[in-house]
Amino acid sequence: MINQIQMRAIFDGSVLTIKVAFVALFFGLIFGTLIALGRMSKNKVIKSFSWFYVWFFRGTPLLLQLFIIFYAYPIIRIEMTGSGVEMNPMLSAYLAFSLNCAAYSAEIIRAAIESIDHGQMEAAKALGMNYRQAMTRIIIPQTYKRLMAPIGNELIMLIKDTSLVSTIALFDLLRTVKTMASATGDWVYYIYAAVIYLFLTTIFQIVFDKLEVRFGVYEER
Amino acid sequence: MSMVKLVNIKKSFGTLEVLKGIDLEIEKGEVVCVIGPSGSGKSTMLRCINNLEQITEGEIHIEDTLVVKRANNKDVEKGNSDLRNDLGMVFQNFNLFPHLTVLDNITIAPRVVKNADKTAIDQKAMNLLKMVGLVDKANEYPIRLSGGQQQRVAIARALAMDPQIMLFDEPTSALDPELVGEVLDTIKALAQEGMTMIIVTHEISFARDLADRVIFMDDGVICEEGPPEDVILNPKEERTQNFLNRIN
Repeated sequence: MINQIQMRAIFDGSVLTIKVAFVALFFGLIFGTLIALGRMSKNKVIKSFSWFYVWFFRGTPLLLQLFIIFYAYPIIRIEMTGSGVEMNPMLSAYLAFSLNCAAYSAEIIRAAIESIDHGQMEAAKALGMNYRQAMTRIIIPQTYKRLMAPIGNELIMLIKDTSLVSTIALFDLLRTVKTMASATGDWVYYIYAAVIYLFLTTIFQIVFDKLEVRFGVYEER
Repeated sequence: MSMVKLVNIKKSFGTLEVLKGIDLEIEKGEVVCVIGPSGSGKSTMLRCINNLEQITEGEIHIEDTLVVKRANNKDVEKGNSDLRNDLGMVFQNFNLFPHLTVLDNITIAPRVVKNADKTAIDQKAMNLLKMVGLVDKANEYPIRLSGGQQQRVAIARALAMDPQIMLFDEPTSALDPELVGEVLDTIKALAQEGMTMIIVTHEISFARDLADRVIFMDDGVICEEGPPEDVILNPKEERTQNFLNRIN
């Protein structure tokens, strides 16, 4: 069946998976909000930068972004400056997943902000609020409910995409069970992995459903 | 004191000229009702005063002070735009903040813009709710209110910022007929307190009873203005006569 060392390894793999997904979602949402505001900005430089950012990070594979940060960046640095740098695999994973998540979040957040009735901004301005006050106090809070479904989606995708970190010398859940399956010739380890993925995604699905109801409480008649 | 003075205001959206030179001066305590057919520029004029639309040309003065002077869609002279904070606005579609309770709808702007003390502004908001007759709705979300109640909250929300001038943009046009009266009564009460008001409205009898002055707009210009006895009961201009005949 499964011994204690294996159980420990599977647990560690699951923790790594969760860590990467959550760090990516956390920084991805913060940076994604800024990119979303940039996409709607009247400043041409900010607007083009944001557009370019989304274009690049959505348009190339996450795996490629991971490789650029972990493998290519040290080489580029040596060629440019002569001094080498060894990338920490965990940090590289956090960075690549956060940057990638930011691009997707930016589009989700922009769509949510643009779906808020224009009259809300006008009312806020007529009451003397500036753009920042209107955004943070009036517009963005109204997007929370609409954001929950797509953000939950994003988190679940992230949980599953973390399996890509196996390419940069990290042991996530999937790589851990793959190693065990290869070593023992027993396929049951894949079932364990599937169960854990489903367990995690089930929890997040339920949590995000609950959050959606909670953030939308003012819409109940 | 002249509270609002518009000098040769023009506003174009692309090639479409919506306001074609508006001159208007409103005295303190005056209630001015603006009537006219759809698309005549009534709402645009109101929105220009409040900078929700930027004028293409002309001057806006508030409380005898220049706020903005523009020509060819560019600023010619920078005025004191802070005076716009003395304007309160009520919209046709209420535009209450749906994620905030009635009380928070009223207090958020004073808290955020003026850093008002929470206890003091809550007390003030309750007084305003008393005035519009909705004290018992303080902790409800807007969606649970009827249209008429929502609009009364919107009026209270605007008043919480201590405006010197209130602008009403068709405040009863989105309401069911049986709810129009309660909103008009609230506006009437404000007029009796001496508030300076510009009201864009389709309620002709309301304008006749309440207004000190009625302005009839058509095709981007002020066509006729004067006391309601003249403009509504004995209009001189043919366009005014036609409009009033059509809606009666």
